[in-house]
Amino acid sequence: MRILVAMSGGVDSSVAAALLVQEGHEVVGATMKTFCYKESAGPSRTCCGLDGILDARRVADHLGIPHFVFDVEEEFARDVVDDFVAEYAQGRTPNPCVRCNANTKFRDLLRRGRALGCDRIATGHYARMRTAAAGESHLLRGVDREKDQAYFLWGLPTSLLPLLHFPLGGRSKPQVREQARTLGLATADKPESQEICFVPDGNYRGFLERKLPQLHPALQPGTVVLSDGRVVGDHSGYAGFTVGQRKGLGGGFDRPHFVLEIRPQTREVVVGPMEELYASEMWVEGVNWLTGTPPTPGGEVAVQIRHRAPGVRAAVLEVDEGVLLRFKEPQRAVSPGQSAAMFAGERLLGGGRIARALTPEASALSTPRHGAGHSGMIARDE
Amino acid sequence: MGTIYLDHAATTPLRPEVAAAMAPFLQGLVGNPSSVHRWGRAARSALEDARERTAALLRVRSDEIRFVRGGTESVNVAVLGRAAWLRERGDGEVVFLRSRLEHSAVRESMDAAGALGVRSETFEVDASGRADLPTARELSARGVEFVSCQWVNQETGMILPVPDLARECNAAGVPLHVDAVQAAGRIPLELDEHPIAMVSLSGHKLGGPRSTGILVLRKGTELRPLMFGGGQERGLRPGTEDVAGAVGIARALDLSLDTMEVESPRLADLRAWLEAGLVGAIPGTRVHAGGASRAPHILGLGIPDLPMDVLPGALDLEGIGASAGSACMSGSTEVSPTLRALYGDDASGYAPLRLSLGWTTSAEEVSEALRKIPPIVERIRVSAGVTS
Repeated sequence: MRILVAMSGGVDSSVAAALLVQEGHEVVGATMKTFCYKESAGPSRTCCGLDGILDARRVADHLGIPHFVFDVEEEFARDVVDDFVAEYAQGRTPNPCVRCNANTKFRDLLRRGRALGCDRIATGHYARMRTAAAGESHLLRGVDREKDQAYFLWGLPTSLLPLLHFPLGGRSKPQVREQARTLGLATADKPESQEICFVPDGNYRGFLERKLPQLHPALQPGTVVLSDGRVVGDHSGYAGFTVGQRKGLGGGFDRPHFVLEIRPQTREVVVGPMEELYASEMWVEGVNWLTGTPPTPGGEVAVQIRHRAPGVRAAVLEVDEGVLLRFKEPQRAVSPGQSAAMFAGERLLGGGRIARALTPEASALSTPRHGAGHSGMIARDE
Repeated sequence: MGTIYLDHAATTPLRPEVAAAMAPFLQGLVGNPSSVHRWGRAARSALEDARERTAALLRVRSDEIRFVRGGTESVNVAVLGRAAWLRERGDGEVVFLRSRLEHSAVRESMDAAGALGVRSETFEVDASGRADLPTARELSARGVEFVSCQWVNQETGMILPVPDLARECNAAGVPLHVDAVQAAGRIPLELDEHPIAMVSLSGHKLGGPRSTGILVLRKGTELRPLMFGGGQERGLRPGTEDVAGAVGIARALDLSLDTMEVESPRLADLRAWLEAGLVGAIPGTRVHAGGASRAPHILGLGIPDLPMDVLPGALDLEGIGASAGSACMSGSTEVSPTLRALYGDDASGYAPLRLSLGWTTSAEEVSEALRKIPPIVERIRVSAGVTS
């Protein structure tokens, strides 16, 4: 079988490729060139994520497989980067890796894989594929719960599932690193990348300042208020804030305060103590069902609202364009813009974007008041 | 799987006669040509023999041959060396002119010369090979101090009107630099007949060794060296000379020019066969610069309804080596400046495929390529429509 494997130059995808070679497949490596690093600050004029591409190429050489570079910069800028900027401009916290997987990476791998005569598409994600009794393809969580990346895959087109292969799904990260060393892969001890690929310095604010018009409201000063409306300070632009963050709010509170909500219309950043971060229900929009059909109201799912968090039980109240879920226990930090991935046991059913969180008292009246969240850093899936 | 190599414009196999000629200088004691003793003298003698042979082949004087480390280096020494010389003379801002089709070595070295006070300007060339050449009067009026033009374009094989340009430059007293990397050994250069100040050549495109190149620097053209220490190659390329490399490039040039009369028509026939076969089998295929006069070894095609960057990979998986034209190190496949210059925005609708032939290319290979390529293109076309 000829398999196309996406190689980022990191240790996970390197080992994934190596495992496929060991299994005896005809393996073709590919690196997606998503973003030109020329645009980001830095003294070296290395072009286009060149280091990652060269690392991937070295690994491919070592494995004796061909390696190609696919230029998806244009699609990536349109479908991922522009969305990232637009979401932040509206005071939400996006998941660019989810967006990329759903719109760019896997679709493009499939398209080019077919062009290259490949039968399967593989990546280094920590997730598993299983063929159920009826021949249906199920996407399952990775065995290593620390690394499990099923959360990032809810947006994949259902038609893709039968073609996917995740060689690392049954392994742990330490096993993968060990394997990389055993194989003598140059990338074995490469540190885990922590930042999203197109903001390599992690400075989202600086990135947004380059991408948004200078006078965009998100970059203008505004006030910091409590949920009762009292003004407690000011800020230099809400694009600097992520819902749920504690850092950077200044002192003066008798106990820790967190960002509860960003109101782009008035440029207010709402803050409050921990207990105000809890929500009992949430609306999820832009949903995608890997099962083909949505769950029925009255059922229950396990919903994961951020990377590395466990799935929590939630009742499905309504299903139409979106889904209304009620948590069995109120949840902290339900951040608008972030992904909600829904599971039945190990199996990923689908997911969507959190549109808004409803607090215990507000949901009783069905009048959403604010979203709340917590994520100091945008989770990424590699 | 039998493999077919059709990327000779990228590099072509080392000719066995070249390897044999180089062999004595790659083993044992080969003296430093600058040394006074017998070993040094022997090396010096071989180096100067190679220089004289090269000069005779190119019909220039032997003191006009500078051995450098590759075609790109040759171009950089010419462009930046001239810019540095002009700056030292204190002319202030000067204008350098080039065609829009130039190889990145010329484009980027001219851009880099911006730091030395150079303003780059370009002239147009169209797909039929017509160039908007400046007249001597225009060159003077625009304050042009240096002109660079390739003789054969690396993506299409198009032959540019270098002799005409040389005449105008000469009349205006402006030095002309010619990138002849793809031209040497494929079309007659006759440097004694054209007033060209500088010519760049590359060894490995001729079946010679890598990292060898020549800058022909005609008498009376001044350059400022870019590197210092030792004064070799008349100060222009200091550092202990690569005797084996000089012997190799001289032998490769010798063989290429010696066989050109037979080899160029042979490649032209094979190219015509390949071109007719592919254009017939792949609907909508465009021959880049098809109406222009072309060197015999390059076939540039534009194939519609294909993703821009999968074709070379797909061909590789079936054993065929080809390229999309020029690609940067990271494999980016933006529309190349050449195709952008020839076809404008229309270039982005055609996936580029460059097939290039060389001294090892056989009729069997062309026949096999004609059998294999159309079904691969068809498969990609079908798959491109599968998901969206």
